[in-house]
Amino acid sequence: MRYPKRSVRLTALFAGLAMVALACGSSNSGGGGGSGGGTGSSSDLSGASFTVGSKEFTEQLVLGQITKLVLENAGATVNDKTGITGTTNVRKSLTSGQIDMYWEYTGTGYAEILGNDVSKAPTDQQQLFDAVAKEDLAKNNIEWIDLAPMNDTYAIATAGGSDVTTLSQYADLVNSNPSDGSMCAAAEFLDRADGFPGLEKAYGFQLPDSALTEVDLGIIFTRVPKGDPCKFGEVFATDGRIPANNMMVLEDDKNFFVKYNVALTVRKEVLDKYPQIKDLFAPIAAKLDTETMQKLNSQVDVDGLPPEAVAQQWLQDNGFLG
Amino acid sequence: MSGTSGTQVVAPQPASTGDAGPVLGASGRRRSVGGYLFMPALLLTAIIAVVVAVRTRDLNTLERHRLAFGYVLQKFREHLELTFVSTVLVLLIAIPLGILLTRPFARAITPPAIAVFNIGQAVPSIGLIALFAIIWNIGFWPLVVALVAYTVLPVLRNTMVGLRQVDPSVIESARGMGMTKTSVLLRIELPLAVPIVMAGLRTALTINVGTATLGALVGAGGLGALIVSGIAGLDLFTTVIGASLVAVLALLIDYLASIAEDVLRPRGL
Repeated sequence: MRYPKRSVRLTALFAGLAMVALACGSSNSGGGGGSGGGTGSSSDLSGASFTVGSKEFTEQLVLGQITKLVLENAGATVNDKTGITGTTNVRKSLTSGQIDMYWEYTGTGYAEILGNDVSKAPTDQQQLFDAVAKEDLAKNNIEWIDLAPMNDTYAIATAGGSDVTTLSQYADLVNSNPSDGSMCAAAEFLDRADGFPGLEKAYGFQLPDSALTEVDLGIIFTRVPKGDPCKFGEVFATDGRIPANNMMVLEDDKNFFVKYNVALTVRKEVLDKYPQIKDLFAPIAAKLDTETMQKLNSQVDVDGLPPEAVAQQWLQDNGFLG
Repeated sequence: MSGTSGTQVVAPQPASTGDAGPVLGASGRRRSVGGYLFMPALLLTAIIAVVVAVRTRDLNTLERHRLAFGYVLQKFREHLELTFVSTVLVLLIAIPLGILLTRPFARAITPPAIAVFNIGQAVPSIGLIALFAIIWNIGFWPLVVALVAYTVLPVLRNTMVGLRQVDPSVIESARGMGMTKTSVLLRIELPLAVPIVMAGLRTALTINVGTATLGALVGAGGLGALIVSGIAGLDLFTTVIGASLVAVLALLIDYLASIAEDVLRPRGL
């Protein structure tokens, strides 16, 4: 894909212009995994200093704060560079050493960062992760550690309690009665081969234009629960507004959508110096499943809590801040 | 009088328009033939440039879908429908209301009425359609209502200012000649108000063409689909083509309105 997933949010895009300007202005602070005792046998990181980055949207801000709090709890000093707009920018910050780590998605790594054809991505999430981790380490000296079970991929959602629970059933519905399969979707999903056009092909249906409404992503959450003008809508699977609006995600039973599991990406020289990072984050990543991420996102997007407070509470509840 | 020969024809000059500051129309006389042809020629050139740009480009998947002739034509038609329906509704609401509010008996309710429409214009259309999406629905009619709410004010205000600036002595003379109030309105006041009313209408039309691009975000279609798709897919070309077509449409409609203004404006004004 020549354009990134997640560039879809127009508001973020416009707000992003300002942030890019800010990010550009302060390019040379922080930096590499500083000096100090780096050979602790346990997960002690006293004396070390790290710069943590993230992309600009809610989930990334929460993950960034989790990372920051865990490192600080282990005794490290953390420079907070979370909220960098756009995959390209945050990735450039990592490879150039301005940040030491951030959470990236396997699907994004495979297609956008490493430039592979997204339609050839392995369908198994572990295989995809292994392929990306291997190639990125060999080519760019970037380590992918600790794959999380949460999968922030494209998904189709409908109002909770629906009889249709899988995409195969949805395809059957469209094929028997197209207007019952009415769909709201945003432009990017409709334009991408790994979005709606590919979905129609993979599941063998074709939604007529009259049943398809092109909208902004945010509107899907106000209209799908009401079923008018669309009973189904495109979402990102970990969006906090899915549970908040009593919606449910249809199961991708033919494994069409590319996996976007999240994993911490770290510069190799940093990880070589502080291998404890891996032990520190493995149990955390393991706990980050899709439902958990939805809840954390919801606390920010729906309840209006700051990402740092959400991250702190979750880490405390799970005993990660000893 | 200094020695000019011949009589000076005194056309009924409108009184100073005073405080409200309406958008004044292009004053003065009708244009030459060349003047009428300039804008169509410019717009045709722009359309040709767009077609050539699309035809000579190696289109990617997104562009093949969004810039297909049939697709663009459909979006163009949707955009035109949004603009046309909302503008007709604005005329139906604002002009009768403007006439009513300038009659002497309505003097007391004029300020609160204006205040209501001021609110309509103060609320941005995108806020209104976001609100409608929650409490009503999305699609054609919610967007039309949002457009109407936003553009009633310029037409209403210009209608009122246009009627008020008619010289009271002209109205008095007409009444003195035995014309009824209705025929004074229809034959004196409204024709003399045309340039200012039309200036308001052209403002409304231009705003509507631009704001109708929001249709792409709320399932109402229109040329905004090209712009939004280009932004979401980081395809600058598609965005520029979409924006160019919106600009061409806005200029075309404004041009047609300027012809209507020339036709409707009474001779000598």
